[in-house]
Amino acid sequence: MYLPDFDYYAPDSLAETCEGLEHFGAKAKVLSGGTDIIAKMKSGLLNPEVLISLKKLEDLKKIEYVSGKGVVIGALSTHNDLVNSKILNDKYLSVSEAAHNMASNQIRNIGTVGGNLCNAVPSADLPPILIALGATIKLVGTKGERVMLLEDLFTGPMKTVIAENEILTEIVIPDQPSTGSNYIKFGLRRSGALAVVGIAVAVTVNGGTFTEAKIAIGAAAPTPIRARETEKFLQGKTISDDLLAEAGVIASGESKPISDIRGSAEYRRDLIRVLTRRALHKAINEGHV
Amino acid sequence: MSKDYAVIGKNVPKIDGREKATGAAKYAGDLKFPNMLFGKLLTSPHAHAKILSIDTSEAEKLPGVKAVITHKDVPALKYGISPARWDENIFCIDKVRFIGDKVAAVACIDEETCYKALKLIKVEYEVLPAVLDALLAMDEGAPQVHDEYPRNINTEIHQNFGDLDKALAEAYHVRNDYFVGQRTYQSPIEPHSAVSIWKDNKLTIYSSTQSPHYFQYYIAREFGLKMGDVRIIKPFVGGGFGGKLEPTGLEFAGAVLSKLTGRPVRTFYDRHEMFAHNRGRHKVYMELTTGVDKEGKILGVHANFVSDGGAYTSLGVATSYYAGGLLTLTYEFENYKFDMIRVYTNLPACGAQRGHGAPQPKYAFESHLDNIAKDLGLDPLEIRLRNARQPNTVTINDFGINSCELTACLEKAADISGWREKKGNLPKGRGIGIATGSFVSGAGYPIYRNDLPQSAAMIKVHEDGTAATLYTGAVDIGQGSDTALCQMAAEAMGYRYENMKIIAADTETTPHDFGAYSSRQTLMSGSACKQAGEEIKKQILDIASTIMSLPPDDLDCRLGIIFSKSRPTAKTITFEEAARRFFVLRGPLLGRGVYHVPRLGGTFKGAAVATSPAYSFCAQISEVQIDEETGEVDVCEVWDVHDCGQVINPMQLHGQVHGALYMGVGEAIWEEVLFDDQGKILNPNLGGYMLPTALDMPIVHSELVESFEPAGPWGVKEVGEGATNPTMGCFNNAIYDAMGVRIDSLPLTYEKVWCAMKEKREGKTESNTEV
Ligand SMILES: Cc1cc2nc3c(=O)[nH]c(=O)nc-3n(C[C@H](O)[C@H](O)[C@H](O)COP(=O)(O)OP(=O)(O)OC[C@H]3O[C@@H](n4cnc5c(N)ncnc54)[C@H](O)[C@@H]3O)c2cc1C
Repeated sequence: MYLPDFDYYAPDSLAETCEGLEHFGAKAKVLSGGTDIIAKMKSGLLNPEVLISLKKLEDLKKIEYVSGKGVVIGALSTHNDLVNSKILNDKYLSVSEAAHNMASNQIRNIGTVGGNLCNAVPSADLPPILIALGATIKLVGTKGERVMLLEDLFTGPMKTVIAENEILTEIVIPDQPSTGSNYIKFGLRRSGALAVVGIAVAVTVNGGTFTEAKIAIGAAAPTPIRARETEKFLQGKTISDDLLAEAGVIASGESKPISDIRGSAEYRRDLIRVLTRRALHKAINEGHV
Repeated sequence: MSKDYAVIGKNVPKIDGREKATGAAKYAGDLKFPNMLFGKLLTSPHAHAKILSIDTSEAEKLPGVKAVITHKDVPALKYGISPARWDENIFCIDKVRFIGDKVAAVACIDEETCYKALKLIKVEYEVLPAVLDALLAMDEGAPQVHDEYPRNINTEIHQNFGDLDKALAEAYHVRNDYFVGQRTYQSPIEPHSAVSIWKDNKLTIYSSTQSPHYFQYYIAREFGLKMGDVRIIKPFVGGGFGGKLEPTGLEFAGAVLSKLTGRPVRTFYDRHEMFAHNRGRHKVYMELTTGVDKEGKILGVHANFVSDGGAYTSLGVATSYYAGGLLTLTYEFENYKFDMIRVYTNLPACGAQRGHGAPQPKYAFESHLDNIAKDLGLDPLEIRLRNARQPNTVTINDFGINSCELTACLEKAADISGWREKKGNLPKGRGIGIATGSFVSGAGYPIYRNDLPQSAAMIKVHEDGTAATLYTGAVDIGQGSDTALCQMAAEAMGYRYENMKIIAADTETTPHDFGAYSSRQTLMSGSACKQAGEEIKKQILDIASTIMSLPPDDLDCRLGIIFSKSRPTAKTITFEEAARRFFVLRGPLLGRGVYHVPRLGGTFKGAAVATSPAYSFCAQISEVQIDEETGEVDVCEVWDVHDCGQVINPMQLHGQVHGALYMGVGEAIWEEVLFDDQGKILNPNLGGYMLPTALDMPIVHSELVESFEPAGPWGVKEVGEGATNPTMGCFNNAIYDAMGVRIDSLPLTYEKVWCAMKEKREGKTESNTEV
């Protein structure tokens, strides 16, 4: 295994970055933390002639609260930035916890949230919790920028709507009435394991009934998915153990997992049933954890 | 260890601790030589294919490429490590037998050029149907891996002791169970590397090896060199666990590349290549039938196994004999039949891995024994106590057991774990399991037939007596033998550990030793070091007697002080003074030691394998917590109680238990090398191959029982591998206790536990049958 030759650019500005991407077209790839792309290049899965690094785009390394907008997370924030952000710890500890349960400390120090989203593998840990919290993303290209819901980013395994000349610059978790959120990753060991399934929920509970519930599931389909039937089922209902158990059954039915070396489809479906119930329970009782 | 000893039995600092902790230690892959080239191997992308042609011309033209070699450039002599089955070539000649089989190699000015050159070698293959399933490999018409081995049968064993049929016929209860193991990989932290230097008529190889001796022997044989013209040097080694016991393409190809270019060549595997080369644990299919009396006393056992050996023999002949041979150790029974077939498949070859051959059969037998206990309404501890081997006995397959404190191990494990309070009283989802293990303290016979002693050692005392250097062929691969052997030498000399130096595992400067495998070095190399130390002491006391004008018999030396035993007030002298005088008057002060194993074992076919001068014993108890919905297994706590004789270095000993348990826990719950339907490894990396992390490890309690082994120096015996043997069965029994489900294949993954619980809920029958 060795890294094939490539040309390397590290532009100083967003505009130059996008121009560079446009110029090289399909030959170029964005390099962020490199924890995914470098491994793929070494094993021959990807062979870009040019890597354009984002590392000089200091503006994309931030996590801040902008009132009226929400929590703004720059695409270059590392997983450990999410883990250690006071803003996230206070408002959405569930996001920090999701980041904390990823990979290993070494990877968390260089892997970025932008890379995790743009890489678009179904088992990625950050999409479900960010989708459940209604996050939006900003894509900037040579022809301007666009903002969309994160859940609309993914079109298939390792496929997104991002154009060749675009990069993802920020993620925004909007201000919201939700009262609790939570991500449960089911991995096959306690560190350095990819999700067999990952369940994120964000609930708005009022006096024992669901005003709203959002459920996003990873490793359950070609892209991270929303469990919309389950969400609909829960809306307006009074919370009870039976209700949460039934929600698990519906979510399981909505999923379309595959069998791979980490687990069979049948196992994954049952895990979704169990973990959806547990995640809801936790979000209801413990807030954003 | 008795308090009378000055150096052994103590936690001295590891002799190489500082170098390793500071990063100063150099491993084979760190070594640099002037003009050194880099070498890489080209391997087969097909599990089974004919080689139609190899064209190296493009690769040769690439700037920076200094040599490209194929089978045409190397001896065609087949090699292997099991003499009865030499079945490998340095490079494949007419066909490749697994994905990763060796086809060609390059030597280039840097690593990068190697990869480019490999891509330019054009190999034309005709793909052949492959056999990837051991159980289908023996079928008529199955693809043949080696023409010389019909029906792909590599090794076939049929051993019969006592009268099994009669025992089963007379038994109160007979039970039959079937279990399946899995292929695992040793995963040493240090990848294999070698630097080969073939200059004039001498070949020197620095290699990450567990046995310079076997490397020297097989490499000399392959190239028709005298053993004396082949020098193997072991630098620091980062773990082997059985996977670095035999020379690989790295040494064979590296040597030829060096000869052709006249330059040192470094060859090495990356993690993927390590997995592809493999030689990990065999996957064994295990049927067990056991008859017991009313009290649960074992009357007879039939072990009927098939194992998947992969494409070559490696150490698999021994592995196969070990698989059944070692089953007679922990429980006493008089009737035993062992049938075993090791088959070839188009997968990477399997070899020796910590616990050589024993852990999977132990998993099967310990699970099987718990099933029997349940059938009889017996406590699992009780059935083990009733059958536990006793000291000074001989197994039905002729292994002589001296010390054996298995009963004490079981009792102590039960005590410290709270077995009797916990068993039957734990909440649902929590369970406790028990299993036993035993292992050789060194194989009684070398791997290829020869009459060399097992081990030899020399000690040279510095002319002013301020240091003594131990020369030993013993191989420290991280387990700490350099430290333990220096302790033993210093004790025997009456010297100080702090003044010991060691030169080890270099075939040119150190005396012969077979190396680090079969947990042999503390007992065997230790015996030689002890003898060498005693020879020094004898000479030093002799010269001291002339200086002190006291009879030598009245003198002793301890921690470098020579004193009169009968006159405590007599003036003492130092070891240094005496050693210096010795050198002045008599020349170099040298001590020599040698260790031969006495003749061991019976006369039946295969009787030599698993003989040993001494056997360790242990009992393990483990506690698990199962998530009843997801099947997740939390390995909470393990209690290991060992009978390993006397202890030279307690810290290193417990380190070995922790390490062995780490591997056992991994193989129990997580680890498995997975293949796709083309024979390609799906998880050849540390992301996909689920080694447990520190967070996954249980709390480990490692304890000992008092024991003294007459065959070992100062009463020692093995510990390094024994603690791997009970672990998989122990966890399976704990899971059974927690959930009432029996997992009949390894590893005991969360999904298998989930699936078994689901089947139980749905009322499907258990997969294990009762006869
Ligand atoms: C040992 C190991 C363990 C891992 N464990 C986990 C885990 O537990 N959970 C998990 O989810 N992931 C895991 N990963 C995967 C990986 O670390 C993460 O997905 C990480 O977040 C990727 O970020 P990066 O910055 O390294 O991405 P990079 O490798 O730099 O990029 C990934 C892809 O996204 C593109 N890209 C990156 N940033 C942008 C951007 N701003 N705009 C447009 N395109 C962009 C790149 O072109 C590339 O195609 C693991 C990886 C390793 C090596």
